[in-house]
Amino acid sequence: MSSIVAEGYNAFETEQAPTGVVKYLRTPNDVLALIQSGRLKDYIILVRGGTTTFLAPVLSMGATGILTMSGAPESHLGILSREFQTPCVMTIGLTDSDSRYRPASTDDAHFEAIAQRLEGKRVRLDCGDDHVGRIYLEEIGA
Amino acid sequence: MSITSKTATYKLRYEPDDDGLRFQRLTYEGNFVGLEPVPDGILGDKMMRRRAKSGVLDSVSKDEVLRRQFTLDELNDLNNYLAWNIWDVLVMRATEGASGMIPRQEYEILAFMHEFYRWPEILRMTTDEVGAQGVMDLGATARREIGTKVNCVHDWCIGAVGFGMGRCGLLALEAIQPDDYVEESNEILKFMQRVLWGKRQDGYILNSQDRYRCRSLEPEILDQLVGELEDFERDEPKHDAFTRFNAAATLLAFLDHFDCRLGLGDTGPYPLPDGRVLIVRDLFTNEEQFHWSDVCDHEGVPHCYTATLAIDADAMGLAEIRVNDISTTFTRPKNYVPYITGGAVFVREKWNTPMGEVRRVALDDLGPELEKLQQATLKLYGKLARMPRRELITNGHWVYFVDMILPHLRLAGTYEKACTDYDLWEIDQRVSNYYYEITKRKFAHEVVPTRIFSGKGYLPFSEKADLRSSKYRWL
Repeated sequence: MSSIVAEGYNAFETEQAPTGVVKYLRTPNDVLALIQSGRLKDYIILVRGGTTTFLAPVLSMGATGILTMSGAPESHLGILSREFQTPCVMTIGLTDSDSRYRPASTDDAHFEAIAQRLEGKRVRLDCGDDHVGRIYLEEIGA
Repeated sequence: MSITSKTATYKLRYEPDDDGLRFQRLTYEGNFVGLEPVPDGILGDKMMRRRAKSGVLDSVSKDEVLRRQFTLDELNDLNNYLAWNIWDVLVMRATEGASGMIPRQEYEILAFMHEFYRWPEILRMTTDEVGAQGVMDLGATARREIGTKVNCVHDWCIGAVGFGMGRCGLLALEAIQPDDYVEESNEILKFMQRVLWGKRQDGYILNSQDRYRCRSLEPEILDQLVGELEDFERDEPKHDAFTRFNAAATLLAFLDHFDCRLGLGDTGPYPLPDGRVLIVRDLFTNEEQFHWSDVCDHEGVPHCYTATLAIDADAMGLAEIRVNDISTTFTRPKNYVPYITGGAVFVREKWNTPMGEVRRVALDDLGPELEKLQQATLKLYGKLARMPRRELITNGHWVYFVDMILPHLRLAGTYEKACTDYDLWEIDQRVSNYYYEITKRKFAHEVVPTRIFSGKGYLPFSEKADLRSSKYRWL
């Protein structure tokens, strides 16, 4: 059993449907700590921006899946996730909330609400559609 | 994704009456308030060119390009077209928000304004040194070389960024008025037009004018590249090795250029006799002018890797392919990677390594190259993570301010003169002061995405503007 918890722009079409526990990376030190832990593959990575530099080591070492709270397939992270074939859903919004990202006019509460809802939860990414990527909340035992 | 046989329809995009596909739902208005909104892609190009008052956006002759300056109508047509073109390639990218690593919007806006102030005299000096024909010849070198930064994105940046975004940013900051710096605007745009015309040699300057094609390589160079392709199937190790290498090199190229597109240079699509399409991709993984590239030196990473990608258009069901004016390939469907069925990798050790010394790396030998890329990426990340915010902004600004014209100055032989006589590696006092202004009222975070990348704020020159005008009044 699973239910859609969020959706956003699908960076590229793929039949891959990765699952993992969401880990929110806030700082470059979070990124380096995750790489050094050797547990990168266990997680679906959640980040705020749609740029590549912040996630460079994660992309380089092979992430399972990426969720962003801003950006689009044309953003640098969208381009790189396609080249690495790492499923990536961008500018995600919670399905039970009307709050949506708008460039230059979105306050921190929007990002924190998404992080709070998803961090630590086990999810599955559906990236088969041309435009929309969907995030399913995997219930324990499913 | 299952690989089933489909039919490519992308060639329909090259029929004169075809308007292309829409890659986004947004539309552009710019200075055409009240008129029909303009979409992206081929239809957008047609609409913008129909609205031009002059012939500058048509296929133009060499004599016109050699002419000393543009008329006011031509300047305004270029301003409007570039504003749409900027929106076309960047409006969706601009949704990416804060990096968490590099304050990109801050360094971008500073660099834009710095370029508008400082580039005109440096580009004029270069034109004086090599002549107008010499500037066109700089562009033409890209027809015979791979691993050259005289490419779509650098050439486009001269006008779209140095003139377009720089002027737009200064107008938004109310540091200039619309009719200021007309002569300087002409200088920048003429340099851009000459380089681009020399590269394309079909009368156009931008890929968007030619249905997003940049088929600039001479046939004999292209034939050599095609002859070096190694073919493979999707499930073969070579496919995995090649695509992983391409991704890793693209990543380092972005990182070495502070998360900007200057590290990547695609040309194409070149149709192959067997129905596939070829993209020739330069990935600039080690720019020697950046002091942080020392980690790339340490790992033995070359100036540029060139990857050639042969894409099975039919298997993919390719409906449209765009090599846009910032040298980036986008397709519909979006995911072309599984359909890459041939590739090759070449190494150009330094920016001026002769073409005869460019070497190919067999796909079976990419493992050590991938290791170099990964190590350099990790080390560069650690280096950037330790940089203070001010240093990140300053360095990012250098990437834009210097690298966008560096390839042209190098080839013209004027780079050293620009450094010594024109203080290229100094920051103008006006721009230094703007550092403290751009964070007020969220200027950098709002103006860059909402005005510059949205195509708004590119105010025209008025009928009263004088082609000789610089900035005469500070009131």
